[in-house]
Parts: sequence; structure tokens; C-alpha cells
Amino acid sequence: MKRNGPLLTLLAGLALAAVLITVNLTVTARGGDDPDPVGFGAAPATTAPAESAPPAAPPTADASPAAPAAKVNAVWAGTVDGGGATIAISVTDGVAVAYLCDGKKAEVWLQGTAADGKLTLTGKKGATLTGTFGGGKATGTVTANGRKWTFTVKAVAKPSGLYRATATVRNAKVVGGWIVLPDGSQVGVVTVDDVPQPAPAIDPATGAVTVDGAALTAEPVTGALTTN
Amino acid sequence: MSEQTRRTRVSAAGLYVPLLLGAVVTVTLGVYGSVHTPTGIAVNVAGFSGPQTVKVWLASGAALLALVQLVSAFAMWGKFGSRVPSWIGTLHRWSGRFAFLLTVPVAVHCLYALGFATYDTRTLVHSLLGCFFFGAFTVKMLSLPKRGLPGWTLPLLGGAVFTLLIGLWLTSSFWYFTTIGVRF
Repeated sequence: MKRNGPLLTLLAGLALAAVLITVNLTVTARGGDDPDPVGFGAAPATTAPAESAPPAAPPTADASPAAPAAKVNAVWAGTVDGGGATIAISVTDGVAVAYLCDGKKAEVWLQGTAADGKLTLTGKKGATLTGTFGGGKATGTVTANGRKWTFTVKAVAKPSGLYRATATVRNAKVVGGWIVLPDGSQVGVVTVDDVPQPAPAIDPATGAVTVDGAALTAEPVTGALTTN
Repeated sequence: MSEQTRRTRVSAAGLYVPLLLGAVVTVTLGVYGSVHTPTGIAVNVAGFSGPQTVKVWLASGAALLALVQLVSAFAMWGKFGSRVPSWIGTLHRWSGRFAFLLTVPVAVHCLYALGFATYDTRTLVHSLLGCFFFGAFTVKMLSLPKRGLPGWTLPLLGGAVFTLLIGLWLTSSFWYFTTIGVRF
């Protein structure tokens, strides 16, 4: 026993890992039992018709998981190809909001839909985003202000994601956007009366941020934007 | 048994197989972490607010046990005086086992949901340390039952495993506590 102890320890760890992997594969394949739907890629999320549905009673026959009417819920975020800008796409019940910014002064908000593995969004001044998603990532192209970015970004989970704050501070219209990446870094731009500037960091836990001396709260983006 | 040990010729050759298998573990983890498309999610443990907090606390438990490992190892090697309590060996073995088992769910979540990440220095260092930790642990476990290894083998391997685990904790849990906050 004594000489085999270390080997048994290794095997026990391996067995535990195998069990966990199996459980993970089972749950993510089934999709309806997800304890953390925020970070989900598209394919499994489409099988969850209602987030509030209790995880009990797993479907017995789930051969065709893709119910066409099911809504997509996901958040993807990351750096665009070649760096230089960061993008986040937040999808709530099929309504997609994307935000691309360089953290200095360039930013663009887009809105649209995510369905059947396709992203179709538009923004101000003819900005467009087209792309595809699935398997825990989203890929596509953003065109805005005569420039073009391509991206492949991964699904992220809270506190990573897309945050937005809108307010009126001393008669100035303030719109801030923040992308919080899985490594904890933030990229954001605040526009005060259409003048963009680098955004101060938000507290990802509460969304609290101070812009021009005024305390604002950045909310996670869920669903259509109120003011674009 | 000690007679037999003394007569065995001391050679580092016995380390070849453990080192090779440890390298296989490290490379396998790294390759899997890079090739596997991260799902962004994995099964959660009940009672915590999210997968991150679960990992943060499991890793902290492992790091705490690693400190027990360090102290008990020093005691076993007579660094705290020549009178070594008989239970120290048992304490060392079982605290090590529990520490290792605590790290497994963390590693599975890291590899399955996040993958080998290179967003910045912290995630890159953490990814590398994670791959090397399980490799080093494998080498240590496979070296333990071997006879005739040089005297520096176990302190070196144990020290490496300890350093890697503390490095992992610093680049994950400690970062989380200081960046996001202490949460459950």
C-alpha cells in the first residue's frame, strides 16, 4: 500500500478529472441544465427556452436540440484581429448589441439580431457587423467610418462582458461603454456631448464609475439599447 | 529496508521515466488547453456564486495545504530538530493528497471552460504554471517509490511543486481577491 500510495493518488486525481469532464460534456451537450448561461456559446443556449426553467427533468429524447424558435443568449468579447480595438457582443433573447472601441476615442455601437448562427447588426452612419457564432465563439467583420475590422472572440462569463452607462451630467449627454475581458482588463470610451474620451475604469462588481465628477452606474447590456 | 536502500547504487537514472511521463502530462495539458475550444462554462459547485469563486476557494484551500506540506516536509527532514513526530509523514501524505484533489476540479474548469490563455502576462504565466504543476506533481509521485535516487530528488521536486502551486495561487486567487474582491 505504502509504495503504491503515490500512484493511487495520481490515479484518484485522474479519475476525479475524468468524472468532471464527463459531467461537463453531458451537461454542455444537453444544454438545458446550465448553471451559468451567461458564457454559453450559441448552440447549447438555443436549447434553453427559458432561463428560469428549473434544471430538473432532463429531456429524455434530445436528438434534435435546435428548436428554431429558441432564443440565443450569449456574450462574446475579445480583441479584434491585429489588436488595436476590442469588441464585445451581448445577445439577450436573440437581440444583439455590439460595441467596438479602442479605449481612446474611437467607438461604435451596433444593434441587431443573433439567430441561426448568424449575427446581423447595424449602427450609426452606416456601420455594420456581420458574422457567425457557435461553439463558444463568434467570428465576423465590422465596418464603420470607412474602416474594417475582423474578429474571432470567445464567449465570456460575468464579470466579463459589455457594460453601458447613459446619463445627463450638468446638461451634457454622457454615454459610456466598457468591455471587461476575462483577464480583468477593461477597455472603454465615454462620450460627453459627442466628444469621445478614454473611459475611467468601472468596478466590475457594481458597475460604479465616476465620469466628470459625477457618480454613474454602468449596467451590463441586456437587450436593445435605450439611446443609441 | 534501510539496509537495502544503502546498498542500492545512487543514480539519477531512475528519474528518466518519471520525468518523461511528467513531460507528457505537461505537454498534453498545454496542447489540450490550446486545441480545445473553450466553452466559457462548466459545471458549477453548489453553494458559491459562480465558477470563479469556486475555483478561487478551492485553489486557496490547496495553497493552504501546500503550506502544511512545506512545514511538514521541513519537519520530516529534521529541520526543526532531530525529534520527528511519527505522525508527520502521515500528515504530509494526506495533506498532499487533499491539496492535489482540490486542484483537479480547478484545472478541469480552467482547461475546459477557458483554455490556455495568453491575454496578458498573468494569464500566460498562469497557463504555463498550470501545465507544469501537474507535470511536476506527476514526476514527484512517480519518484517517491523509487529506490536509489539522489538525496536532492525529493526536496527539489517537492520544492518545485510547492513553488508552482503558490505561483498558480498568486496569479489566480490572489489576483481575484485584490482585483475583484473577497467573495463566496
